[in-house]
Amino acid sequence: MITADKLRKEFKKTVKEPGLKGSIKSLFKPKTEKVTAVRDISFEVAEGEILGFIGPNGAGKSTVIKMLTGILTPTSGSCTINGKNPVKNRKSYVKEIGVVFGQRTQLWWDLPLRETYGVLKEIYEVPDDSYKKRMAFLNEVLELDDFISSPVRTLSLGQRMRADIAASLLHSPKVLFLDEPTIGLDVVVKDNIRRAIEHINSREKTTVILTTHDLADIEQLSKRIVMIDKGSKVFDGTIAALKAEYGQIRELSFETGTPNAVKTLDYTGHFKLGADDLSLEGEGKSVKVRFNSAAVPVSDMLSYTLGKISVSDISVKDADIEEIIRRLYEQGVDG
Amino acid sequence: MKRKLKIYLPFINAGIQEVATYRVNWIFYMLGNALACFVAYFIWAAVYRSGGGGTMSGFSMPQMVVYIVLMFLTGTIIASDGAYVVGEEIRDGAIAMRLIKPVSYNATFLFQELGNKLPTEIAIAVPMIAAVEIIRTVLGGAVQFNITCLLLYILSCVLAYLINFYFNICFGFIAFIIKYLWGANMMKNAVIGFLSGTVIPLSFLPGALEKVFLLLPFASLNYTPVMIYMGKYGGAELLYFLGLQAFWALFFFGLSKLLWRSSVKRLTVQGG
Amino acid sequence: MKKLKRMYRIHRIFMAQEFKRMMEYKGDFIVGIISFFLVQLSNLLFLWIIFSRVPDLMGWSVNEVIFIYGLSLIPKGIDHFYFDNLWNVGFFIVRKGDFDKYLTRPVNTLFHVLSEKIQIDALGELIMGIALVCVSIPAISADWDVFRVLAMIFMIPFITLIFTGVKTITASVAFWTKRSGNVIYMFYMFSDFAKYPASIYSRVVQNVITYIIPFALTSYYPALFILKGKDPLFNLGMPVLAAVVLMGLGVFVWHRGIRAYESAGS
Repeated sequence: MITADKLRKEFKKTVKEPGLKGSIKSLFKPKTEKVTAVRDISFEVAEGEILGFIGPNGAGKSTVIKMLTGILTPTSGSCTINGKNPVKNRKSYVKEIGVVFGQRTQLWWDLPLRETYGVLKEIYEVPDDSYKKRMAFLNEVLELDDFISSPVRTLSLGQRMRADIAASLLHSPKVLFLDEPTIGLDVVVKDNIRRAIEHINSREKTTVILTTHDLADIEQLSKRIVMIDKGSKVFDGTIAALKAEYGQIRELSFETGTPNAVKTLDYTGHFKLGADDLSLEGEGKSVKVRFNSAAVPVSDMLSYTLGKISVSDISVKDADIEEIIRRLYEQGVDG
Repeated sequence: MKRKLKIYLPFINAGIQEVATYRVNWIFYMLGNALACFVAYFIWAAVYRSGGGGTMSGFSMPQMVVYIVLMFLTGTIIASDGAYVVGEEIRDGAIAMRLIKPVSYNATFLFQELGNKLPTEIAIAVPMIAAVEIIRTVLGGAVQFNITCLLLYILSCVLAYLINFYFNICFGFIAFIIKYLWGANMMKNAVIGFLSGTVIPLSFLPGALEKVFLLLPFASLNYTPVMIYMGKYGGAELLYFLGLQAFWALFFFGLSKLLWRSSVKRLTVQGG
Repeated sequence: MKKLKRMYRIHRIFMAQEFKRMMEYKGDFIVGIISFFLVQLSNLLFLWIIFSRVPDLMGWSVNEVIFIYGLSLIPKGIDHFYFDNLWNVGFFIVRKGDFDKYLTRPVNTLFHVLSEKIQIDALGELIMGIALVCVSIPAISADWDVFRVLAMIFMIPFITLIFTGVKTITASVAFWTKRSGNVIYMFYMFSDFAKYPASIYSRVVQNVITYIIPFALTSYYPALFILKGKDPLFNLGMPVLAAVVLMGLGVFVWHRGIRAYESAGS
């Protein structure tokens, strides 16, 4: 359905030297350098799939999304949706997609929300009867009724996000792009939004491409993720595969009666581990150890611990995806 | 004093950086303003030619040329967009960031704007003063440069800038209170353009009108410095106009403090 | 035809939204109209003071000068009224990345930008322009006939496009430089030359404002025909030609610029 083929984007960037002297210098002779924001990224997305797009800040996520939505023209490479290309025919391409940027709104700021939908109906040429049906559907999923008559500037962030998602879905697009859809929202609102997205995806088979910093979004919504770092794709697969490949982290937690248990346990010395592979935190009786099970087998960990101190309760857990990705970001994936 | 300056140095720096980022834009802006001078020059040239030359309301044609150039220069030197900045900052809440810093609100603006203007000032003033002198020498047939006038002009410009700066700050606060920032700003520019002598020297106006306009703060903006540079004011008259400038500067300084206080109250009341 | 009809519908709905928005900020808009009116008034005062000193301006009577001045305000006002959003493109929309919105919609981006906003303050210019033309015409002893009046009305849309074309070209510069508001400003300021009869300017200036940044074509040349019946081929033909060329160039540069658009943020 969606095909990205060797997408590449280069920017020119003005380099500024620090301080007063630097500012005066750049006043007369600005220096520029070429920055490659995205390096030859390729992937495909199937119809009805929810793809999570992740990567650290400045990795090039937004640039990829903006190329996929026809906002930026790729330096080289191409992307197509059902064979349509945004560079060649932007207008017919964008009818296939809906776009929501979490930090920006496409609603008419000073007017009641209802007015925005009226304008978008004309822009996207939605016929009257399907518009009515569509609004009823969006109303049901996103609960717009409470605030549809209020001026947009008076909406809360959560309401505004729901309104924006509805705006992007008015013309029944085949693909929905969501860039940070839950940014700045509280837990309950986040959950509402996620459920709405899930609902729309399952009911209409809308393909969803989602970027986010909140990995709970990804865990709840998408089966597959694409991770990029420094402009390159570093992972493309299911969450299960990500866990299998990078998720050797285990968390061992136990309750102990031994006083000063944390001091007694010298994991790093005993197993000769680096800070990357082990972290230890203890609070009163309960102690938590995160460790890399590739470096130390779980059984060794257990027998060492049980041999050193007295333990009343013990459990071993898989690391969650957040932990895996945090470590990947910190280490740099290829490093 | 030195320590005080040091606190504000980063604001000057930030201002210069803004200009640096958009320096090409700035050049275009200046060129655009300069075009208005050319139009003014040609219309006056036509007027003097149609009127058979000579002097009108105390201005000969060469003097009118000098007047136009100096008006442009002075306008650039004393320009201040505090009104707009204050209005925007209040509107988008950025003003809160200035509230939490242990420095005077109005002063941070003043220094940031100075940083914005310093490169402008130097790059513009020196060649333009030279140009004015060359024009005067060529058209008048003799060197007319007067160092006292230049120094008094600089002093007068400083006063004019302070009037303009604090006037604009006041205006920004008021516009915020009455909520008509954009329209009010246009209105202000229209009124100032005329009352400050930018459109036509005030001496061309009917006598009574001229007297009233000279008293208003707007004449203290562009008109007074230019007349001083051109040597039109001397002795007691000179002191009177400089004193009037100082009065208006102090007046708007005080008013801006008052308005600042009431705006802060409003801000806290409105919350956010 | 279907396309035009759609454009008209979109334009109408945008206008309706704009009027609703204006009702929310009535005061600001009224003050805006008055201030543009005042700017014009102060310029008129200038003309009045000048003409109290000289009988005519290099052969142009006061009424003729006022006619040209008024005529220059009409297309300027119309452009200002309908197409003012280009300034926002030059100053904010591109720099802040808000242009993204237009690119994700199935509407021609230039059309979308142009039709989205209206600037009510322009009425200050427009009303003044129409008033000046109406007041000066009876006082000018010219051979009025229907054809001249029709020519004037016919020319106005084209003359307006000279303004819009120049603004579109210069606004597009922002796609490469992020901010071009002051570039628009500089070229727009050339329209100041259109306020007075072009014959008061030097040769060089006349050539520039006739052939390069042709704002003299927006008032002076049409006035030469309307007032004096001179050379209709040049005085009417050139403005039409310039309008088509400038607007065409504007559309071209705009679409090239979109390819260079970098959005904002990471």
